[in-house]
Amino acid sequence: MENKVKNLRFVFEPKSIAIVGASNIPNKLGNILMRNLMSSKFSGKIYPINPKYEEVFGLKCYKNISEISGKIDCVIFAIPAETIPLILEECGKKGIRGAIILSSGFGESGKKDLEEQLKQIIEKYEIGAIGPNCLGIMNPYSKVDSIFLPMHKLERPKQGGISFITQSGAVGTCVIDMAAKYGIGLAKFISYGNAVGINESDLLEYLAEDEKTKQIVVYIEGTKDGKRFLEKLKKINKIKPIIVLKAGKYSGGLKAAKSHTGNLAGNYLAYNAVFRQAKVIEAESLDELFDFVKVFNQSLPKGKNMMIITNGGGLGVLTADAIEENGLNLAELDGETIEEIKKNIVSYASSGNPTDLTADAKVEDYEKVINIVMKNPKIDGIFIDVLFQTPNMDERILDVLQRASSDMRKPIVVTAVGGTYTENYRKVLESYGVPTYGAPLAAVKAMKKLVDYSLQSKCRKCIIKL
Amino acid sequence: MGMLEDFTLLEQYGFGLIPYKVAKNQKEAIEFAKELGYPVVLKVISEDISHKTDVGGVKVNIKKEPGLKIAYDEIIENTRGKKIDGVLVQKMARKGVELIIGEKKDPQFGHMVVLGLGGIYVEVFRDISARICPINEEDVEEMVNELKSHPIITGTRGRKPINMNSLKKILKRVCKMATEEDIKEMDLNPVVFDEKGCDIIDVRITR
Repeated sequence: MENKVKNLRFVFEPKSIAIVGASNIPNKLGNILMRNLMSSKFSGKIYPINPKYEEVFGLKCYKNISEISGKIDCVIFAIPAETIPLILEECGKKGIRGAIILSSGFGESGKKDLEEQLKQIIEKYEIGAIGPNCLGIMNPYSKVDSIFLPMHKLERPKQGGISFITQSGAVGTCVIDMAAKYGIGLAKFISYGNAVGINESDLLEYLAEDEKTKQIVVYIEGTKDGKRFLEKLKKINKIKPIIVLKAGKYSGGLKAAKSHTGNLAGNYLAYNAVFRQAKVIEAESLDELFDFVKVFNQSLPKGKNMMIITNGGGLGVLTADAIEENGLNLAELDGETIEEIKKNIVSYASSGNPTDLTADAKVEDYEKVINIVMKNPKIDGIFIDVLFQTPNMDERILDVLQRASSDMRKPIVVTAVGGTYTENYRKVLESYGVPTYGAPLAAVKAMKKLVDYSLQSKCRKCIIKL
Repeated sequence: MGMLEDFTLLEQYGFGLIPYKVAKNQKEAIEFAKELGYPVVLKVISEDISHKTDVGGVKVNIKKEPGLKIAYDEIIENTRGKKIDGVLVQKMARKGVELIIGEKKDPQFGHMVVLGLGGIYVEVFRDISARICPINEEDVEEMVNELKSHPIITGTRGRKPINMNSLKKILKRVCKMATEEDIKEMDLNPVVFDEKGCDIIDVRITR
């Protein structure tokens, strides 16, 4: 690992942060940043830097970096682009090894020279530098948060095992918000912008060794370092599942080429090849991305044989169809299992696959059948489709589903289709970390990814607990 | 690059090509056809013509000498006005599954091999799969499985599966050649496979 990548620990776990451009004027970048950091319970030292002020948020404000006598681990830049190289050089000389450069106005707006200048300083001092032109990072464990969007507008996710890497700050914003909404916990969030110092491959390398990170999600538009990116995806996906979302699939590459292959291979074919070669999990949309993320807190299935338990016949049938269509199998139950299920449920319910507990189903029926299925070695995964709308369903079902989800003998996915009442139940389940879906197809696609990952990964025994 | 240079490069890299000879006139064509054995194919060789079939520069499945004479004259007639370097006399290829095997150099990831079901609808269905070079045998198996049309390759309705070893060899060889020669784009299209092996019918290399 290169020194600049190692130095990222100063960015993620700093004991002290300096904010260049800290401000008392509401809604300025340096103001929101200070406010967020002060309210995020970051326990390290904060040094505001701005020659205009004596004090920012009640903290002593410094004129420049050299004025600070204490050690600084990480500097966050919230000042105009042109002024940054000079100050970064000063940081380098002072031995500061972590930096987040939020400011835009570099390569993305045609200022290639300025970007090159920045690159040289970063390389010279081996600074673990995120950005420029980005949101920076968020670490729910160390409470570092350089996301310059107000807390009341953008909820912050809880601690968890998912690390998210994004090239786009906008998508990053959506992801943070959605993760918080779904109750998905993050280990690290990194918006890396122009990737002048640290790029996506560096981040993968760092996160591979990060203890808190159990699963990595990557939003990517393009890479400048394709070969290395492929190599890192391949290697790290074997240890920690990587879910990718590629945007910009159809820009360019469309002009007529001389050969058939040239015409067939648009911009996206190479990325598609890379993802398949590395065996990472590819999502087609942001919705799918979250659908897939949710299921990867389950144990890895040993095969493709799925069981459906439902209290809504039609819902079970829809799931069964989606299972067949997406290359999974409906498990065949032996007579013994069928008998055992039959003994435990009402006489007119059907004990097969799907097992339909009917609209009369009680919470206990679900629990009993789940327990029977959990111990059956011929079943690899369980779909639990619940109509919360039926008379006998009540909030105790939430505990049953949570127990099933954390059982870890087999992966489960819950499908609950419905309106506001059902949505409220779904939200609670999501906050418990139960993979819950609003449609059978979404649940099946997610389970399929888990099965694919499991069957191709060499480490089938590992249980990914987030 | 011309067809003959493309053929030579392929031969240097150990691609087995269907036996062929280049005839400068009708007499030579007759002689070579006898030597190679009927049935044969005639193809015009000309850097002026990029789609040989479209202009009537290709005649296939010629079974006897009289037919060969007519076919030769027709090709010359059809391509009048173009600069012609000769006529290729090639032994007729085996019958089987037509695949396209291609290569493209991606600006970010480098050389990439592409596999698809060949034939005239390849650009309509876009049923293709790809991998970045170098590739291994498992990659080839996955490339086949990713095609919607994979049962045609792996055997369906009494048809025998194609020779997977030939496919693996040819794809790996394409990677090797593309990387070493730094080839921008390449089509082997079609390559005809049966259970015993394969024949490369046509090639186009863009440096």
